[in-house]
Amino acid sequence: MLMTVHKTPLPGSEAVMAAAHGAARAIPPLWPLASSVAVNPFLGQTGEPLAVAAARLRRVAGIRLNMPRDWYRERHQSGELTDEDLAEALGAAPASMRPKTVPALKQALNVETSAARALPTVAELAREASGIDWQAVVDERISHWAAGYFDQGQALWAAAQGRSAYASWRTVAMHDLTPEIVGLARFAGTVADAPESAEAALIDAVETLGLSESALESCFHRLLASLGGWAQLARYRLWKAALAGGTDKTVIDLLAIRLVWEAALLRQYEHEIGTQWRETVTAHAEPVAASAEDHVDAILQEAAERAAQRQLRALFAEPRPAVPASSRPAMQMAFCIDVRSEVFRRALETLDPGISTLGFAGFFGMGIAHRRFGSDVVEARLPVLLRPGLFTCSGEQTPETERADRTARIAARAKRAWGRFKLAAVSSFAFVEATGPVYVGKLLRDALGLTRNAAPNDPAPRPADTIGLDQRIEMAETVLRAMSLTDRFARLVLIAGHGASVVNNPHASALHCGACGGYSGEVNARLLASLLNAPDVRTSLLARGIVVPEDTLFLAALHDTTTDDVTIYDADHSSVEHAADLTAARGWLQTAGGLARAERARRLPRAETQADIARRARDWAELRPEWALAGCQAFVAAPRWRTTGCDLGGRAFLHDYDWRRDEGFGVLELILTAPVVVASWISLQYYGSTVAPEVFGAGNKLLHNVTGGIGVVEGNGGLLRAGLPWQSVHDGNELAHEPLRLSVVIEAPQKAITGILERHADVRALLDNRWLHLFALGEDGRMAWRYAGNLSWDEAEVETLRLQAHA
Amino acid sequence: MSLNLLPLAAPLFLLLAALFASSRPGRRAPHVAAVAERAAMSALAIAAGSLVLLLLQGPGDSALIGSAGIGLSARLDVISVTMLLLVSFVGWIVLRYSRTLLDGEARQGAFTGWLCAALAAVLLLVQAGNLVQLLGAWIATSFALHRLLLFYPERIGAQRAARKKRLFAVLGALSLAGSVLLMSVAFGTTDIAAINTMARTGDVSWHAPAAAGLLALAALLKSAQFPTHGWLTEVMEAPTPVSALLHAGVINAGGFLLIRFADVMLLAPGVLAVLAMVGGFTALFGALVMLTQPAVKTSLAWSTVAQMGFMILQCGLALFPLALLHIVAHSLYKAHAFLASGGAVEQVASIRRPGPVAIPDGGAVARAFFIALAIYGAIGAAFGLGFGFEHKSPQSLALGAILIFGVAYLLAQGLADAAPRALTTRTAIYATAAALGYFALQTVAEWLTAGVLPATPAPGRLEWTLMALAVLTFGLVAVAQALFPLWAGHPAAAGLRVHLSNGLYVNAMLDRMLGGWSVRKPS
Repeated sequence: MLMTVHKTPLPGSEAVMAAAHGAARAIPPLWPLASSVAVNPFLGQTGEPLAVAAARLRRVAGIRLNMPRDWYRERHQSGELTDEDLAEALGAAPASMRPKTVPALKQALNVETSAARALPTVAELAREASGIDWQAVVDERISHWAAGYFDQGQALWAAAQGRSAYASWRTVAMHDLTPEIVGLARFAGTVADAPESAEAALIDAVETLGLSESALESCFHRLLASLGGWAQLARYRLWKAALAGGTDKTVIDLLAIRLVWEAALLRQYEHEIGTQWRETVTAHAEPVAASAEDHVDAILQEAAERAAQRQLRALFAEPRPAVPASSRPAMQMAFCIDVRSEVFRRALETLDPGISTLGFAGFFGMGIAHRRFGSDVVEARLPVLLRPGLFTCSGEQTPETERADRTARIAARAKRAWGRFKLAAVSSFAFVEATGPVYVGKLLRDALGLTRNAAPNDPAPRPADTIGLDQRIEMAETVLRAMSLTDRFARLVLIAGHGASVVNNPHASALHCGACGGYSGEVNARLLASLLNAPDVRTSLLARGIVVPEDTLFLAALHDTTTDDVTIYDADHSSVEHAADLTAARGWLQTAGGLARAERARRLPRAETQADIARRARDWAELRPEWALAGCQAFVAAPRWRTTGCDLGGRAFLHDYDWRRDEGFGVLELILTAPVVVASWISLQYYGSTVAPEVFGAGNKLLHNVTGGIGVVEGNGGLLRAGLPWQSVHDGNELAHEPLRLSVVIEAPQKAITGILERHADVRALLDNRWLHLFALGEDGRMAWRYAGNLSWDEAEVETLRLQAHA
Repeated sequence: MSLNLLPLAAPLFLLLAALFASSRPGRRAPHVAAVAERAAMSALAIAAGSLVLLLLQGPGDSALIGSAGIGLSARLDVISVTMLLLVSFVGWIVLRYSRTLLDGEARQGAFTGWLCAALAAVLLLVQAGNLVQLLGAWIATSFALHRLLLFYPERIGAQRAARKKRLFAVLGALSLAGSVLLMSVAFGTTDIAAINTMARTGDVSWHAPAAAGLLALAALLKSAQFPTHGWLTEVMEAPTPVSALLHAGVINAGGFLLIRFADVMLLAPGVLAVLAMVGGFTALFGALVMLTQPAVKTSLAWSTVAQMGFMILQCGLALFPLALLHIVAHSLYKAHAFLASGGAVEQVASIRRPGPVAIPDGGAVARAFFIALAIYGAIGAAFGLGFGFEHKSPQSLALGAILIFGVAYLLAQGLADAAPRALTTRTAIYATAAALGYFALQTVAEWLTAGVLPATPAPGRLEWTLMALAVLTFGLVAVAQALFPLWAGHPAAAGLRVHLSNGLYVNAMLDRMLGGWSVRKPS
């Protein structure tokens, strides 16, 4: 039943499917909250610069990718953003589209941009025509089904599992009477008549909607974007499948579902909205092009970033002790590169000149799939870009451990049975009448914050299957070289993972270690410590030129980023000889924790004393237990002594790297392709959640309603929300995160960096399109070189002078 | 006599705090949140003081501040003191929670103010000594709640829910007003204690049963009973503390009304039968819908619908002491459940860790029900020997049987073939503890309210039928629930699940009637 008159021939099914897959890749993935990590919301747009991405996302999602103009204006008025910054940014912009002069650019600061509007969907056009909010109805209905489909165990009566998304939806929609009650005639019947395969349904709908081939991908992107977090959750399945070498078509299914709705609405309202819809299809067929306004926005954004880089440059220009001390350190402590470590490391280093710290991705090279004590669930505790290479579990294989494991499981299962008793029909009445008054105690306990949250302390982790010495030596050597830790070992070397102790927080995993896949990092750290303490590994490392003194002890630790307490897992490798070292270390860590808390209290609302900070970790009403990575601005890969004593304000990722020891630049390649990319995801997630919170933010924490154990919706239901909650980027008075794209600062020869970029097109795209800024440190430790795109470099410091003359 | 005015101080403190907060409606206004929490703590202290007063000098009424039966007066008895303690305790918890949660909100002060006002209104309601105060507090509660539900006035979902809620609130207030009018005519007084005493002597005009009917209607509307439940499952559009207060404090007003006028209600057995039927149906309906809900707060809201239904069923069976127990127990549980709902991610994650759930087959379920009934018999006999059999009404025995079906569900999980022995033992211990807890609390509730609340009358034919129906339907659902994994995958169940998960479309039809999805057409 063809109702639309076609001027253009219908696209073939291959073209339709290609466009659908293209649109799917334009959507960023969303990790379930149980182990969530930051994701670059512009993952599908990194191949184009900000101005073009802004034009695209305005068209398909109705959002802006920049702050309002007055944000830049205020920075300019306060002097933070100078005319030089504007001139530099203008100079670096593509010549064809930029304002002619700096005064013209300054003029633009005073002009607020027009509101972003997406091209309408059929549902939106039908809303205008009928007075029924069809867009909201479609969102609500699809969400109602999707919440059940993606549910991980909240509902006791779960939707049928093990079917494709489209098949599951079709069964539901065939029975659901709601659309008819609201006013869409015979929708359940339409769905029953729809093809059984998603592909066929998609092609049918394309026909009904009269989509031309060039309009397909844009229109599909529009519809997937309108599904918010649901499409992103489906995209996550595709990501996971692709990482394992497979594929997944949940996104395509969602697209088909949304298209069936569009087609049904167009059939019903064809008469009223047909013309407008054909105009919309034509608009979708136009190529995306940035407007003059988009270009100005991008230049202003670049200028704001250059202003921040100027401050960073000043820090690097400060005189510093030229070379590190050569004597043996009293203690070494490795931290995650996470910006929260910077505050603690700086505090710790002030306590004793013998303390040396270093930074490395918090999984410490242990890419593991781990099974916790008393658990069947395998957790991927490694960066999400990687596949696990090692399977681990908790506790040695002894009868005692097995007995303890069984006991723990029985306790957990009894608790689970009680939980089901609490929630099931009929038994929930018995539950309430029998145990309601017990909740007086629970209410008091939680309201007064009486629960102590102890650091995780499962039995020590071990590889599930024994691994050979060769492999262990290989792992040990790789990690040590990647950490640039090959000599000057202290008697005590602490390897500190991190986690955040919080209560009642759906986004808790976002506060844990991203490099450990959204879990706390102690398991990986404990594994590395036991690997490096093994005598056979030590002996074999000698042969590879790494001399670890016999009296060096590696111990794992866990840095609690909410309270700044550090737990040392010393029972894993008890050593009488190191008792004094351990006592000293504990003393330092305690003092450093105090200093770090005092510094953090200045940024947190309602935190006057150190005790206030500790209490936040136990307060069930606390929305801002800590700031996580809010404020992140820079990524530094250099020896620590380049930044020692330099107050980076908890805004910098610090990765230890010494290019002089990196033969063949293998470590540099690893840094550029893994930690830098992860840092860009984090930085851009904050960017997206700040500039476009309505689409790339998780909304208001006061209204969060956890759905299916996987995500949150705001209020009664509706679209799943991805990204960071508003309270995680805003303190009530002002933004806690300034939306500035990350500046990567690397101490390495430019040629080496360029060579790596040549081989890695995706990293190069991030840099060429300015989703990241890249600087190389000169011999003197100054930020001497700026990557200018297209594999070329500018001398950063003369650039200013040149442009001043030019302007 | 003047000491009995003490409970009135509780709402007074909160009202003053509300006034103070409304003068500083903005973000992080100095002292507002702290003052509000202190006011709630003072109210809790007053409630505790009222308990002491009750223990020392027994039930009584304060003098009326006002004239011609219109004004403020406090009723001091076990019902009002229980409710005062409950509401002020939950109120304090909620205000303390909001103090942190709302920090940095643009309208933090306004929120605090309305929260205090709502609490004050509920406190006035539960201690009301006269009809006029009761009605006034009832309306004030609805009004304050309405403001809280629209704390984010721009949210379409909030408007949609508030529109439905207001319709039922207005209808409820009208029927309560009608009932108040009828009662003051029938009994010639506005004093609630006097009305109950007169009702107990039984010599009244036709006005009283009519008043009972209107009371029941008001209670059904307030307790979100089918088919007027729709708004309750949609009020997560306001910050979490509002949900906690609503589900633990405000929603109880309907049940409280029935308990407060228990003697009047007994004058109208037909009305009670309707209550039992509507309540029983809502309880099962709500509980089944709850099973299908994947969002934690939504599931909790449906659970409230069900629990309120069960409480209304208890009132319908004239088991007023048990209804009071249910209100208290449910409020405490539900307040905690809402405030702690952020833990749902971790809870769901922990479900799968210890391995698959052992599924009981028909035999295991049969054994579970048998053992549960044996536990019921044994504990019932023990309590009977300890406290005497004579005050156990058939109604309360029937209710006990329903509850023990729930315990059977717990047992069945431990009796599944795949369940290890240690798990069987644990669930058996839990089941016994639950049964014991239930009987102990029931005995305490009956003992505390003896003399204040009327005894359950001997059942007639209507009551016997209702009881049989209730035990049968609840039993069937319980068995179906225990065998659930065995039939839920059947294609025929898929359609049922869709209809149930949509609450049988009652809300969709109501939205259509009230224009919930309509947008203003561009002119």
